[in-house]
Amino acid sequence: MNERNDTSHMKILEKIAGIAASERNDYLMQAKKSGKKVIGFFCSYVPEEIIHAAGFIPYRMRAVASSGTEKGDIYFSSLNCTFVRHCFDKALKGDFDFLDGIVFLNGCDHTRRLYDNWRHADIPPEFRYMFVAPHKVGTTAEKRFSGEIEVFKKELERYFNVTISDETLAASIKLYNRRRELLQSIYEAGKSKEVPLRGSEFLRLMLALTAMPVEDSIALLEEFKGEIQGRSTARPGDLRIFLASGCVEEPGHLELIEELGASIVANNICLGTRNFDLAVSEDDEPVPSLAKRYLYHLSCPRMMNTSRERLAYMQDTCREFQVDAIIAEKLKFCDLWGGELFLYRKESRKLGIPLLALERELYGGSSGQMRTRIQAFYEQVRNRKSTADDLFCAAGDDYQAGGKN
Amino acid sequence: MFSRKKQLRSRELLKFNINHRLNLLYVALFVPRLLYFILRILRPFYERKENWLNKTWRYGFLTIGGGVMHPAEMRAYRAGIKAVIDNFKTALAAERNNEPLAWVEWILNAEIIEAFDIASFNTESLNIFGNTMGSEYPPALIAEAESQGVPVENCSAVKLSVGSYFLKQIPEPTLIIAASHPCDSSISVYQILEYLTGVPTFSYDAPYWKDATSYEYFTMNTWDLIDFLEKQLDKKIDWEKLREVLERVNEINFYLREVCEMNRAVPCPGTMISLALTWVIREVAVRSPLAVSMAKGVYEATKYRFDKGVGVVKNERVRVLMWFPPIGFFTYIFKWMEHEFGAVVVADFIGHISTIHINTETPETMVHDLSRSQLHLGMGRQCHGPVEFIVDELEKMLEDYSADCVFFMGHNGCKHGWAALKIIKDFLKKKGMPALYLNLDIMDKRHTSEQEIKKEITDFFRSHGWA
Ligand code: SF4
Ligand code: SF4
Repeated sequence: MNERNDTSHMKILEKIAGIAASERNDYLMQAKKSGKKVIGFFCSYVPEEIIHAAGFIPYRMRAVASSGTEKGDIYFSSLNCTFVRHCFDKALKGDFDFLDGIVFLNGCDHTRRLYDNWRHADIPPEFRYMFVAPHKVGTTAEKRFSGEIEVFKKELERYFNVTISDETLAASIKLYNRRRELLQSIYEAGKSKEVPLRGSEFLRLMLALTAMPVEDSIALLEEFKGEIQGRSTARPGDLRIFLASGCVEEPGHLELIEELGASIVANNICLGTRNFDLAVSEDDEPVPSLAKRYLYHLSCPRMMNTSRERLAYMQDTCREFQVDAIIAEKLKFCDLWGGELFLYRKESRKLGIPLLALERELYGGSSGQMRTRIQAFYEQVRNRKSTADDLFCAAGDDYQAGGKN
Repeated sequence: MFSRKKQLRSRELLKFNINHRLNLLYVALFVPRLLYFILRILRPFYERKENWLNKTWRYGFLTIGGGVMHPAEMRAYRAGIKAVIDNFKTALAAERNNEPLAWVEWILNAEIIEAFDIASFNTESLNIFGNTMGSEYPPALIAEAESQGVPVENCSAVKLSVGSYFLKQIPEPTLIIAASHPCDSSISVYQILEYLTGVPTFSYDAPYWKDATSYEYFTMNTWDLIDFLEKQLDKKIDWEKLREVLERVNEINFYLREVCEMNRAVPCPGTMISLALTWVIREVAVRSPLAVSMAKGVYEATKYRFDKGVGVVKNERVRVLMWFPPIGFFTYIFKWMEHEFGAVVVADFIGHISTIHINTETPETMVHDLSRSQLHLGMGRQCHGPVEFIVDELEKMLEDYSADCVFFMGHNGCKHGWAALKIIKDFLKKKGMPALYLNLDIMDKRHTSEQEIKKEITDFFRSHGWA
């Protein structure tokens, strides 16, 4: 890689890191200044295209730069997940005062209460909407999802006095598909030995893209894609990791996983593949097409009847990305990812793929402890590599001492 | 506890219930008056706490009133107990004979299964019936699930199902009917059970709201379930059988709604344990005609007191509203409060009935109304949507039942409940309603013991001058 290339991709990575580090960024604020409205949303099941077609900027909610949960803890208990507590804390402190609307989703028991507590604390914006996504796939659910999107569309039109035509919606779908396509190709590059982009960098990229106008994000991605071509981040002996988790959003945590001797080459996280998996059909009616895409994209454990597909995805991805080991994480008190980790542990054992199951708190620190666990796990994986191939490498029974995998 | 649990033989807890406990209680309840006197005389030996001498009897004795429940109520329980015995026997027989057996999650009832004439089993049954061999068993089943990697934060009630499965305490299913409500724990654990058993699983998807579109969606789910069952069982639904069971369900609902209505009277004529137990019987054995007999018996016992204008306790001192699920390992809490403090639970989260009358005229009306009714079962109806489903009902209850105080049953599995606590607290504060906020696990006494719960309640009553 030549020097010019090196400095220019460093520049763009730095720029992205800057955007990712805060809840607001220049792109967003400039668009806001020019009269664009910003609508926050909470989950990968909210169809961003509808918000965009209304003329607004969809903004993925996050807890980045959170300074704690003291205020959030007045509303949520210590039995609630830290993602929710941090987000609500930020909301109470006014960190999201740039929002013109916010869309909640019945993602899990914790996030659905964000809708309730937001209203109870009467935190702006005034437009607070609960978008309801089915918990299963199938024809009935698809029909329901279409209906839900229609109602959401009408409500945006009514409240903000705008019109969402089929044409504008089709144009939005095109744009988001383009972004998905670019992201998919960057992600796929992780299959190569060179690993042009580390997992932590990929997460920063996702954080940045989901907080800016989609048009800007596409321009940035196109530039970015060119810049990282030919780049290699692989170090000799690095393990190739598949990361599965819910609301992970700390690049620092992923850096820790990587700096100990690994590259996160593939993932199933909200701010990862679940964001760009599966394109929306551009040939059919927009709303049903959106329903199809959002219902059938790579699911998370909130979906009841797709666990087999998720496990198959895990297996296929491990094969295609030549993964050495899986790190599966959950935040404390997350029932959904807790259950998913159970499945991952059983399945990875069956398949003979080493797995480290981690439980942690969002922005919880304790990296010393985490470091030791990850290091020990890597050693186990490497030992296995250098000894008997069929030796199963036990998962890090980190949060469940007696876990038998 | 662990070593004792290890000795459990296959299906031992169910068989123990069938052969030794429920059966004996059933027989003894043919002479409820005599049993009442025996329970009363023996009270000093089992009422205070569990020990090696009383452990296999205590839970059963206390659940049927511990010598302080009127024999008329006890008579009603006889039918319920028989319905449960029959269900356990049928489920075990189906397993033995390699016949189809459907596991039905505890937030759903098994009416549809009746229309396919196969055996059904409530996966969470041992939450209640596991205590009859000693109250250490449910925690042992939960501990087993946790030791196998089931997340500790999952609701203990559903964790126990996985533990029961691992320890071979429940019969193997041939299919599972699960639901996305009331909470994430069900979503999570039933995916685990589907994975472990490897059997075809149908998931009901509960809507978020309770509007026409939502009911329609849930109804479509029921049609999908029928389709699923027809395919899996290779037979058609028997609408006549469904009609029969739904007519009985209507009867159950009628009696229980009447009881709820009567309980508004001051003094309160009914005891909440009866409604809570009927909820359990409905879950396990809604298909049995005996479930109607139990509901009718409870109704008659309550009506008798209501007509005479007397309360379930002679001197009613305080009326309690219990919000969030009651304690499975301490079902005696209701009678204990009545007996010790003259404190009557006038309404609670699961016993209160708001299911609708099911029109049995056509298959369409049956499926529609049954679906709607299912969404109104206790715990399900409050937990699956916005906080208003909890608070609005609470407000209505406070008005309807002239409650003096509220107990918030802070079950650590109900994370959605904890996330709503500030809203509930603010609401009760605004109402000027004294409230006790308990922190416990409804199925796992290791979290907060019966003695600790009793102490907190006693202190609360004392501090308000009710004791
Ligand atoms: S980490 Fe789990 S509990 Fe927390 S918001 Fe995400 S899905 Fe919900
Ligand atoms: S008791 Fe609470 S945590 Fe358990 S299933 Fe019911 S709502 Fe869920």
